[in-house]
Amino acid sequence: MKKIGYYGHPPLSVIEHFRRILGQELLDLDVDFGSPDTKVVPEAYCQIITNIIDNAIFFRPQLSLIIASVGEEKCDGGRFAAAILKDLGFKVVETRNTRVRKARPINIAKSVLPVVEKVLKIMDTVHTPDREQYPECEPSLGFWGVPPHDLTLLELFPDSTHIYGWTRCVEAGRPADIRLETYVDPGVPTVFYTQAFCPKQQLAKYLAEKYGGMCVDADGQITQSTIAKVEAFIKLV
Amino acid sequence: MLLADFGSCWAKTLETDTGSYRLEETRKLVQRSSLIFDVATGHMAKERAQRYKNEILALAHGALRLVDEDNFAVVDVGARDIKYCRFVGRRSRGLDWNQSCGAAAGFTLELLGRYYNIDFAELPVAEKRISLTCAVFGIERIFDSIIKGSPVEEAVSRFVHGLAYNIFTFVQRPKKIYLSGGLCENRCFVKSLSLYCDVVPLGRHVLLAGLQDDE
Repeated sequence: MKKIGYYGHPPLSVIEHFRRILGQELLDLDVDFGSPDTKVVPEAYCQIITNIIDNAIFFRPQLSLIIASVGEEKCDGGRFAAAILKDLGFKVVETRNTRVRKARPINIAKSVLPVVEKVLKIMDTVHTPDREQYPECEPSLGFWGVPPHDLTLLELFPDSTHIYGWTRCVEAGRPADIRLETYVDPGVPTVFYTQAFCPKQQLAKYLAEKYGGMCVDADGQITQSTIAKVEAFIKLV
Repeated sequence: MLLADFGSCWAKTLETDTGSYRLEETRKLVQRSSLIFDVATGHMAKERAQRYKNEILALAHGALRLVDEDNFAVVDVGARDIKYCRFVGRRSRGLDWNQSCGAAAGFTLELLGRYYNIDFAELPVAEKRISLTCAVFGIERIFDSIIKGSPVEEAVSRFVHGLAYNIFTFVQRPKKIYLSGGLCENRCFVKSLSLYCDVVPLGRHVLLAGLQDDE
């Protein structure tokens, strides 16, 4: 069975269009599936972009096409990845999800669900709107950023953690909304997370200093030292 | 109770019943495979402790035991990493752990001291500093300076100054720093750091103090 590969946050209408005409399952190429390292991207580079390229090459026989986020909702890395994938012979549909539309209400990001579940449910809204209403809670902590390559980082946070940053933008359906991306609740101790070698580090550092949070980045698997650092932040704040 | 700060290069232990502290090279201590600590922290401690506490928590709790001030910053410069905590009203308002690129900080100074036979207690503070992004690049700069004719002592002192400046910026440039770890005993380093802020050395046992809450 062929699949539709995608990465980033293409417009829902584009995903629905190809699902309708091809009737195929989706495959999120951002995610770590343990695909072999193809060495196409540089050694020291964003792990998510590396995943996209490595996954696409590994799953090549199964992919009918790739819907690629290449606008402000993703990054230059996503745009360059699309160019490389095209050059490697993939059928690539480039999308830009920068159209301003009314924000969907934020519920999952403020819910009492475990943090991993919150993030995965939000990322599922890229292709399937979630109409469930989850119980919400006051935030004891904040997690700002993108879904980590290694989701075990999120297991360190209590269920009362609210989600901010790009992940919250995804729930709102506005992945290029810089105002929403830079929003946090002042007073809520927040961990600002980025992948290593990601331009979002600039925002994370600035916001962490502005709001007294902590900046964390990770390349690939989360190290014991990073775990200890986050654990300490959670216990000390 | 036997408490330990079991670092990458040096192990600091405290026998609480007698109050006796010991300092031993980690490479020697690891050979005593039967040695188990009651409470321990440090990179090498996880497999050796009945109870383990992570280093930054041990630093924070130790500093709160040893420092009376409401608002202060403490930094621990270890053999392979640098970590700091900042308190406002004795509540944590910032922490960081430079666990990879800050690596080698203390260890590099030890290696340099041994190789060039330098006594850091006598080494004058350099006015200029070597710009350091990491210790390995810094060593390259030392070699370059020596090749260009700079005395070894001057080159190493500039390296120490560069390291001190890095730590000052890592801790967010406070007016005063409480310093933890073996570099408290490195006069050249303490004086170099003092060019930028007040420095209060707390000694090598701050993390051990932080374990005493867990007895």
